[in-house]
Formats: sequence, structure tokens, C-alpha cells
Amino acid sequence: MEFFLQQLVNGLTLGGVYALIALGYSMVYGILKLLNFAHGDVYMVGAFAGYGVLVAFGGPADPRIPVVTLIVLMFLAGMLASGILGVVIERFAYRPLRNAPRIAPLISAVGVSFFLQNAALLVLGARFRSYGTARMVDPATGLQWGPLRISIIRIVVILSAVALMVVLHLLVQRTKLGKAMRATAFDREAAAMMGIDVDRVIVATFLIGSVLAGAAGVMVGLVFSRVYHFMGFVAGLKGFTAAVIGGIGSIPGAMMGGLLIGLAEAFSAGYISSTFQNLIVFGLLIVFLLARPRGLFGVPEPVKV
Amino acid sequence: MRRFERRFAWWAVFALIVAACGGGGQATTTTEGPGTTAPPATAATTTTAAPATTAAPQVCEAKIGVMAPITGPAASIGEEQRNWALLAVDLYNEENGTNFELVEGDTQLDPAQASTVAQQFAADDAILGVVGPAGSQEVEAVGPIFTDAEMAFVSMSATRESLTDGSLPTFFRVVPHDGQQGPTDAQFMIDELAASKVMIIDDQTSYSTGLADTTAATLEAAGVEVVRESVSQDVTDFSALVAKIDDATDVVFLPWQIAANAQLFGDQMAEQGKDAVIFGSDGLFSPSDFTVEGAYVSAFAPDIRGIPEDADLVAAYEAQYGDFGTFGPPTYAATVVLLDAIRSLCDSGAELTRAAVVDAVRATDQATSILGQPIRFTENGDVDGGRFFIFQIKGGSYELVK
Repeated sequence: MEFFLQQLVNGLTLGGVYALIALGYSMVYGILKLLNFAHGDVYMVGAFAGYGVLVAFGGPADPRIPVVTLIVLMFLAGMLASGILGVVIERFAYRPLRNAPRIAPLISAVGVSFFLQNAALLVLGARFRSYGTARMVDPATGLQWGPLRISIIRIVVILSAVALMVVLHLLVQRTKLGKAMRATAFDREAAAMMGIDVDRVIVATFLIGSVLAGAAGVMVGLVFSRVYHFMGFVAGLKGFTAAVIGGIGSIPGAMMGGLLIGLAEAFSAGYISSTFQNLIVFGLLIVFLLARPRGLFGVPEPVKV
Repeated sequence: MRRFERRFAWWAVFALIVAACGGGGQATTTTEGPGTTAPPATAATTTTAAPATTAAPQVCEAKIGVMAPITGPAASIGEEQRNWALLAVDLYNEENGTNFELVEGDTQLDPAQASTVAQQFAADDAILGVVGPAGSQEVEAVGPIFTDAEMAFVSMSATRESLTDGSLPTFFRVVPHDGQQGPTDAQFMIDELAASKVMIIDDQTSYSTGLADTTAATLEAAGVEVVRESVSQDVTDFSALVAKIDDATDVVFLPWQIAANAQLFGDQMAEQGKDAVIFGSDGLFSPSDFTVEGAYVSAFAPDIRGIPEDADLVAAYEAQYGDFGTFGPPTYAATVVLLDAIRSLCDSGAELTRAAVVDAVRATDQATSILGQPIRFTENGDVDGGRFFIFQIKGGSYELVK
């Protein structure tokens, strides 16, 4: 039972991160019908921005400011850097191709992804960097319930992932911008005719999606410590898988898809073998594509006749 | 509606394939890392001049190749190896007035890529010997090419035992082989750590599984209970695996190559309150990235920071390239072996041919080296008297314990 609960906690942490990445994929797909493969690398840049702040303030072993402030600053830096990057990518890589065939922005997305990976390799080198969270916050502190342990960092990560998702939900459901986003996703032309500034909505979507990815990058750095130039690739694929399983374009779907992938990874590593972890996750993707391509929460798109 | 669904399914599968190819594609780019000064490997094929084969030039000059995973997933190792090879050639030229040139070949730790680079090197008559390749699987792939070309190749990190079974007559290595590492590590766990149950987790590379097998065999022969697990290098979270370590487990053996992964593993063990001791293989020797208190690490080379004679070299490297782990210094040693061999031919006025270089490498007799030990080769190319060292991490630094 403790083993089960421990894996549940592990899966929830991972799932929270995947959900945040999946949200960016899903929101952009919902509005532009574009698979933004550079999204994983935006997340990588967020992780490095957080790392930069950490190093600038003295590193994990000897921070010059209180740890809590430092972590908040790291989150802000990661979200800011990723947010700006997302908007820049949209402006230069996707907007010129807005009316091109759908394959063009997809290729552009893959190109941006390579560009970012190799730019990071060139500027930062290939060495793995470590957040060294264990030296900043004792990994043994946190909740302990019998043999079950949840470290304080994991609690922070799970709670902030949930908080970000709640904020996003409120933003999409309760604000004018959210309404505009939903309208644009439903029918871009009609939304434009109703006086919605579609370009602004698209920029806002990229900004929000990228900010979430930046937060996910810092979270991964905090919990799993290592950051490197290639980290966005697999994480991006997992986020994409989560988005598809949840129903691409659907925001609650991305959240559920992310959690499902995280739990599937933790439980397959725990009860079957970590050898099969990726096999099971991507196997799930194939099963969903074959059996239920619209995903858990996806709404079938009406076909115009 | 169904049509849309089906189209979407194909679309997503296609996108996934594009992305997957993309991963491979990233690995095949010839992007040079920072600090690159020599031309990329492709330059090798365009070189036509072969001045080195003409009779005794006044300045000893030749090209040698270095094969390392300069980009791709093992780039952190490859960059270090490349940098140490560059440093070796620069310092050697400076000290001896020679004019050696290093040609870089990026293998990405991929046997197919290594074969391509090997063919380019073999086709360039000016290249008289090769440092590398880094991985055992790559050595196997390039073996036939270099055997045909009579090209001496000296690996700085390929440790699979079978490489020196006599089938590769031009192959040498400056590091000991896994047949020595596994039993050394296992014996240490039995004698010094009194282990009764050991969990061995390989990282799904042939280096790792081979080492896991030999270690498990020695442990089981001594009656130690062994549990085998396996995890990909790409996994970001080990907590599910850490949860499987039970109280009876004394030692967790990690024959891994990415130190940051092992650090995370150690942190997650602390997080879940596991007190088994981590024992890492040579791939984890990295004082900057792996600092789990009390853990043991074996290494095919000593920490050259602890060798007083190497202080200048360490300073020179750090000034130019920064920090390093265990993979760099053996690359320096391998490069010097090759350069010494070529220079000895120059000095004796012999013709510079690849076959002559192979013989000269075989005759290597260095009383001391950067690794703090003599370098001589056995008939099959193993370093004579090679052994593994075991370190324990205390207060963040590596202390030699055996």
C-alpha cells in the first residue's frame, strides 16, 4: 500500500509537469490547428532561465537570498523567458505562414525546435547542469506518513501546478480574453468578423502556453535537478502525447492527459519495469489514436459541407 | 466526423514520425561545439596533399584523427574528450617543435556514424593514426575499416573486454577493460561493504549491461543476493525505481554514464529515506556532477587533480576549457601515445606510413603518463598493468580508498 501511494505521489508530480506542457500544445492546436513542436524547447529555455537565476544568486549551496524568494524568482524568470520566447517564435516562425498549407508551419516548428536545441548547445555547452535542489532544501523534509514520504519540493511543485491550472481555467472561462480565445478556437473567421482581434488572441495564447511551459521547466529543474540542451525533446513528446490522449484542443483534456501519462509512467516503472516505461506511454498514444482519436475530452470537429 | 478523426490520426502519427526523425536529425548535424579550432571531419575527404609520406621532412608533421561523440546525447563526454585531444596536440607541438594537426570526427556515440567517419579518415592519406572511438560499440563498427587501412587507433574509453581478443590488430587502449572493473567493484562490495543484497540497475547501453552482468556474476558466486533493474538514460525521474529499494538492500550498483542522473537518483533516495549505499561505475566519476555523500565510484583513471606532476596540465585545461571529469585525461594520454609514435618515426628518419605507426604504437614505452602510471601495451593492445581505482565521496570530494 505504501508502495502504491509512493508511486501515486511520484506519478502526480510528473503528471503535473506533463500537464503544464500539454496545455501549451493543446491551446495552440485549439486555436491555430498547429502542432507546435518547438514547445518542448521553450520549456528547456525556461528551465535554463531558472538555473541562470539560481547561479546568479549564489547557487544552491550558498544562496545569497532566502530560499523561498529565490524559488519564486526562479519561477518568474523561467516563465518570463519562455513567455517572451513563445511570442517571438509565433511572430517570426508561424505568423508569416498563417495562410500557408498546414505542413509549412509544422516544418517551421520542427526547424525552430532544432534551432533552439543547437543554440543552447552552442551557447551553454552540452554539460548537464544541476539545480542541486538537495543542497538548497533538505530532501528529507516534508510530509511523512509511515514509510510514505513527500518532500516539501514535491508538495510545492504539485500545488503550484494545480494553482496554475486553476488560474488558467478561470482565465479561459471568466475573462474577456478567455471568451475571445474560445471564440477564436471555435471559428477564427467568424471571431474576426465579430470584431475580435485574432492576432492578439493568438499572441496571448502563445504567451500563456509558453509561460506554463517555463514554469514546468523550473519545476522539473527543482524536482529532478538536471537540465540540458536536449531535455525538451522527450518532454515535448510526452506533453504532446498527453495533449492527444486528453483530446487535443481541450484544456481539461490536457490536464487529465498529463496526469494520466505521469501516473502511467510511475506505475509502469513501479509494477512492471522501467524498461517498458516509454513503451507503455507511447503505446497508450497509439491505442488512443486507433480507438478514440479525439481523446478523452476532445470534441469532434464539425465538418463543413 | 469520422473522416476528420481518421485524418487527424494520420496527421498525428505523421507528426510524431517527423519529430522522431527530428531527434535523429539533430544527431546528424555537424554543428561544432564552442571552442572548436580544427576543421570538421568532412574536411578530411577533401584533403589531397599527403606531404607526410614523402621522405623525412624537416619538421615532423602529420595529421591524426580524433573520434568522439562531440554532439548528440553523449556530447558532454565527447566535448571533454575533444578538448583534451586539442590540448594535447597544441602542447605537444609547442614543446617538441612538431607540426601535428588534429582532424575531428563526430561520432555521436553511434556505430553507423563512427563507420562513416572512419571511412573518411581512412581515405585521407595524411591521417596516420586515430584517437578513439570512445564507445566499445563504435570500436567494433570501425574495426574492419581500420584493420584494412592498417590504421592505428587508440581508444581512450572503450572498455569492453572482447575488443582486445586479438581480432583487431591495430587497436590499442589506454584504459583497463570491464573484465577488470566488474570483479573489482564486486569484490569491494563483498570485502569492504559486507554486502548481502545488491540492486544492480543498468542504463540499457551495452557498456552498462555488460558491466552489470560481470558484477552480478561475481556477487552471486559469493552468495550475495542480486536484484536486477534497468532504466533508460533519458528517464527524468527515478523515484518509482527508488521506491523499489527495500530495507535489506545494502548496495545499489549503478553502472551508468550520466553523472547527473546518478546524483538525482541519490537525492531521490534521500527523499524517500533509503539508506543503501550507491556504488557507481567509471562512467559516473564526475566530482562536479555526482556528489552523493558516502557513495563509492570506480574509475579507470585516477583523479589527475590528485597527481602533483599534472598540476600544470590541469591548470592549462581549466584555463582554456573549464571543468572536466574522468573521460578527458585518458584522451590526452591516447593522443600523446600516438604523437610520440609518429615523432619517433620522424626522429629515426623512417618513412611515415600507417603500418610503421602501428608498430611504433605497439612499441610504446612511457615510464609515466598523465594518468600517473606507465603506458605499455600487451600484444593485443591492452594497457599493461591496467587497474581500476575506487573512490569514496566524502564532504563533496573524491577520496581514493582502494
